[in-house]
Amino acid sequence: MQGVTKSYPNGRVALRDVDLVIPEGDFVFLVGPSGAGKSTVIKLLIRDELATKGAVLLDGRDLGKLKRRDVPKIRRKIGIVFQDFKLLPNKSVRDNVAFALEVIGTPRREITSAVDRALRVVGLTGQADQLPSQLSGGEQQRTAIARALVHNPRLFIADEPTGNLDPLISWEIIQLLLRINEMGVTVLMATHNAEVVTAVRKRVVALEDGRIVRDQVAAAYEREG
Amino acid sequence: MIAFIAFSFRRAWQGFRRNGLMSVAATATMVLMLVLLSSLMILLTGLNATLKSVEDEVQVVAYMRDSAPQSEISDLQTSLRNMPQVTQVGYVSKDQAYNDFVTRHPDQVDVIKSLPNNPMPASLRINLRDPKDYVDVAAYLKNNPGVERVLNIKQTVDQMVTVINVLRVGGVVILLVVGLIVLFIIVNTIRLAVVSRADEIEIMRLVGASDAFIRWPFVFEGAIVGLLGALITIGLLFPITALVSPYFKVLPVEAGLAVGQNIALIVLGSGVGIGVVGSYLSVRSYLHR
Repeated sequence: MQGVTKSYPNGRVALRDVDLVIPEGDFVFLVGPSGAGKSTVIKLLIRDELATKGAVLLDGRDLGKLKRRDVPKIRRKIGIVFQDFKLLPNKSVRDNVAFALEVIGTPRREITSAVDRALRVVGLTGQADQLPSQLSGGEQQRTAIARALVHNPRLFIADEPTGNLDPLISWEIIQLLLRINEMGVTVLMATHNAEVVTAVRKRVVALEDGRIVRDQVAAAYEREG
Repeated sequence: MIAFIAFSFRRAWQGFRRNGLMSVAATATMVLMLVLLSSLMILLTGLNATLKSVEDEVQVVAYMRDSAPQSEISDLQTSLRNMPQVTQVGYVSKDQAYNDFVTRHPDQVDVIKSLPNNPMPASLRINLRDPKDYVDVAAYLKNNPGVERVLNIKQTVDQMVTVINVLRVGGVVILLVVGLIVLFIIVNTIRLAVVSRADEIEIMRLVGASDAFIRWPFVFEGAIVGLLGALITIGLLFPITALVSPYFKVLPVEAGLAVGQNIALIVLGSGVGIGVVGSYLSVRSYLHR
């Protein structure tokens, strides 16, 4: 993100002149109080919103100059999960995950194996045929993660993924995200769970009032001892 | 491409079945509205046919002088037939008029028989393309020396034309208004069905589904609702018309199967059409951001 400013039609300025580079393979926490601009950063990255000023580049492409019909192609490089899981209640775990591939036109043969693989990664193979309502919160979030993972994204975005979960389950989800990062996927996690952030010792970008007030790379922890 | 269409149909059918309540609601609304619309159309078709037959009844009757020679009468007949306003010219001779009177008024046979000769005049009965031409044709007849008198029904014809016009225009206006209401209600119901699945659309956008992959299953689903609604409507319409049509037999109108077929096509077309357009527009508001 280069010199990005985002103001909404209602006049609220969500981001002011933000510069942020996330190298491929990185694991980055995006922290800050509500309203600091975390969600706006995510919306800009998935091109749900466009920057008012400055440029957002993803994989070398300027999202602001993207043609409408190329937007879906960019989104296929991204996997995203939210605080509220956004699962379809009338579909089983397996179908929820498969849905992400069906709607981008993946042939059926490939879907089955890709879904099995994603469910194995999140450890839900045994619950594949249950409905979201039969699952615990942690299992629901793992289903959402499997769905975000099934098309092999390069960037994985988690928007407050632990916001609705108790500490123990939250920790499991973080471990899962770290594993995904180890598989070579860039991970960006927005959170205000400070405990988790300090324990994991990864790069932390802190936003406040639309500006980056702190960008602490992982190595800094080592110096602090 | 074929795979895409197959995919869209499969997803449309899934969507239709999985959202049972919404689908039933949308289809039921579709049926009710289409029944309303098509009953109105059937009634209006009947009304129009009745009005037409009433119009066709309008005849200019010209009584001929007894002195008018036969050749003059047939000349007049020919020139009348050549007038563009005239559809048919009938001739009733003196004898025929006498017989008609006798059959129509058997109780007055004595009166007419007591007269020295046949008092009934010969007459020409002219059918018009449009009752409004009555004045022109009547004027033309009056100028003919062989014509003794033209039966003056101008006032009656004028009143009839006014009433018929009001009924016709009124029918079209009511049909348009009801049509708009039906369109609005159906599109709104379909919109509700789409809105209830906003989550699904959002997920599709987030995982990178192209607009076409999001749109077409919904459009096909709208088509399914429309098709099903139309078929049920037609299924209901046939027994209803069969039940009602005996009561219309008194009218000089053929409100038979020909009408049924036209209506069926219109119902089918508007059902599927509204379903498709409604879904297309409803999904569009989620795609264009």
